[in-house]
Amino acid sequence: MENSNSYSPYSSSSVDSTKPSPSESSVNLSLSLTFPSTSSQRETSQDWPPIKPRLRDTLKSLRLRQRGYNTALFVKVYMEGVPIGRKLDLSTFSGYKSLLENLSHMFDTSVISGGTRDRKHHVLTYQDKDGDWMMVGDIPWDMFLETVRRLKITRPERC
Amino acid sequence: MDLRLPSKVLEHILSFVDSNEDRNSVSLVCKSWFETERRTRKRVIVRNCYAVTPEAVARRFPEMRSLTLKGKPHFADYNLVPDGWGGYAWPWIEAMAAKCPSLEELRLKRMVVTDECLEKIAASFKDFKVLVLTSCEGFSTDGLAAIAVACSNLRELELRECIVEDLGGDWLSYFPETLTSLVSLDFSCLDSEVKLSDLERLVSRSPNLKSLKLNRAVSLDALGSLLRLAPQLVELGTGSFSDKLDQEAVSKLSQAFSEMKELKSLSGLWDVLPEYIPLLYSVCPGLTSLNLSYATVQMPDLVELLTRCSNLQKLWVMDLIEDKGLQVVASSCKELRELRVFPSGAEGLNDTNVAMTEQGLVSVSEGCPNLESVLYFCVQFTNAAMVTIARNRPNLKCFRLCVMEPFAPDHKTQKPLDEGFKAIAERCKDLQRLSVSGLLTDKAFEYIGTHGKKLRMLSIAFAGDSDLMLHHLLSGCESLNKLEIRDCPFGDTALLENAAKLETMRSLWMSSCCVSFGACKLLSQKMPKLNVEVIDEHPLETRPDSSPVERIYIYRTLAGPRLDMPEFVWTIQKNPEIGVSHLAIK
Repeated sequence: MENSNSYSPYSSSSVDSTKPSPSESSVNLSLSLTFPSTSSQRETSQDWPPIKPRLRDTLKSLRLRQRGYNTALFVKVYMEGVPIGRKLDLSTFSGYKSLLENLSHMFDTSVISGGTRDRKHHVLTYQDKDGDWMMVGDIPWDMFLETVRRLKITRPERC
Repeated sequence: MDLRLPSKVLEHILSFVDSNEDRNSVSLVCKSWFETERRTRKRVIVRNCYAVTPEAVARRFPEMRSLTLKGKPHFADYNLVPDGWGGYAWPWIEAMAAKCPSLEELRLKRMVVTDECLEKIAASFKDFKVLVLTSCEGFSTDGLAAIAVACSNLRELELRECIVEDLGGDWLSYFPETLTSLVSLDFSCLDSEVKLSDLERLVSRSPNLKSLKLNRAVSLDALGSLLRLAPQLVELGTGSFSDKLDQEAVSKLSQAFSEMKELKSLSGLWDVLPEYIPLLYSVCPGLTSLNLSYATVQMPDLVELLTRCSNLQKLWVMDLIEDKGLQVVASSCKELRELRVFPSGAEGLNDTNVAMTEQGLVSVSEGCPNLESVLYFCVQFTNAAMVTIARNRPNLKCFRLCVMEPFAPDHKTQKPLDEGFKAIAERCKDLQRLSVSGLLTDKAFEYIGTHGKKLRMLSIAFAGDSDLMLHHLLSGCESLNKLEIRDCPFGDTALLENAAKLETMRSLWMSSCCVSFGACKLLSQKMPKLNVEVIDEHPLETRPDSSPVERIYIYRTLAGPRLDMPEFVWTIQKNPEIGVSHLAIK
């Protein structure tokens, strides 16, 4: 029987058709399992692990507060070559798209996330909670919010 | 000789028969027993609101005083059922208003309740006493005001984890000064602040108030004055526990708690600061139920609290308790029957939270001889731990293990968790509810099918290799009543082969599996007493028989296909296809 439905967890775009390994699985599964919903209270929520909505909301704000951000999520943003940085409240963005649009506007240049190594565009990177510098855009937005510590807009050749 | 019991005598005898299970048996004896039973049943429970029509229920039980209804399937709690699917309370309330105006109690779970529903209740049932809404949605605080103002004999108003459109805290002010019958009030799921003076007046004129669950917006200061007005409370849900109080206020609050000699259940405790935990010490020895799922208390502070709770039977807590804290529970809470440990996500979902592992649950299983119900969220687990738990606690009735890392194997041996769940199914002969997780092969389900004879409800996520899994369960678990499955790679064959089994169950839910549209059509044709609902928010333009469906929900029903289905729900009656293509069953 063919599995032509793109919503099967076994054929989502970021996983090949073999069973995902444990370390990749929670990332891939969260991408493929969130069904868009019309209810505004459910727009950004996931369905794993199986906890009720109220607890899920409580935990989200708990995590953000544990990192010292009182549900607002301010991070510093530097443009390479510019000594003075900016501060940005990430909680005001709905996702990567609006973040990039905003940064492009703020720094008056075209900023993209990883992917094409185009000499024309600046590339956005972030420092995660382990201290490593990573390409923005690889992980789901919610996860990104939990791990991001600061942002850097780099010159494309450097990546 | 006429051996028939006069109906008056039978009525009198039946007045002692409380359990609906027994009453159902009584109804089957003969026609006259059926008639006498139905005329005397006061408490009616319908566990699937689409299994029977409201009119049929109202007709059969004209003396109904209490109605309990459940709507959406359980997985709706985890956002797996799209909005608009159904579960509307209105047709029931309308039917009862017309046929059973003496209705006094309504308990609804996972249903859509509108303000119109609440207004209708307020207007139709003159002696309305009890409204308990669990995981319901669709109404606003205006609807609550309607209930408050009109129900002059109201005893219980409980909103448990509902999603309410919060238009402000005015609704509480609508309870008239003449209302003195309140026994239980739970508005913990609301966000807005209610007027403290109104709340205080309500509490002071309610001498029978036994249960009060406040929302987060009620300050710690306000709590003090409320407790002084109601020291007789048996159940308390506090509001926010984090305001800064001066020394005098703290000692007053401490005094108020020490006056509460009847308190058995404590919950709320949002954001509780460690320095306020000692305020609770005086009530701890009396507590049988403690819900810390919203209390972000770290382990050392928790320990102080838990060592004092020697009579605790029910504990709900976050994994901040860690293995060490659960060891304390094991040694201090010898009466423990139910344990739920929720994920705090403190270290993030991907990292291993080394502070809480399978060892915590093992300790509790060793130390608490009455432990019978477990819900445990953990990042990883081991077979050895489950074998030990099963050996320690063969009296387990409910075992829900959620290994949060999908497909996680035994983290010590890297093997699937088959052997662990086998031990649970084999040893715990009275097991009625089981949730499995982690890396599992079909073997696990073979074991469950073989041993899980009393199993009534089973939840499965990200498991199994093939159709065999489903086949083992449907053919082996004799008592199976509810089965819910997500993200498992199978469908058609086992489903069609065990179609008859589905009529013996309340419901089957499958989402993100590999059930084809053709199989759904075939099943619908084969089993007319089932409603086979295909729930696809993104149906393909043309739906070939081989295409997998997003979700199916199958339930037995006497009511036939429902009339309130949204666009995205398909049943064979709603959209009959011409001809069902021949499906080769291997």
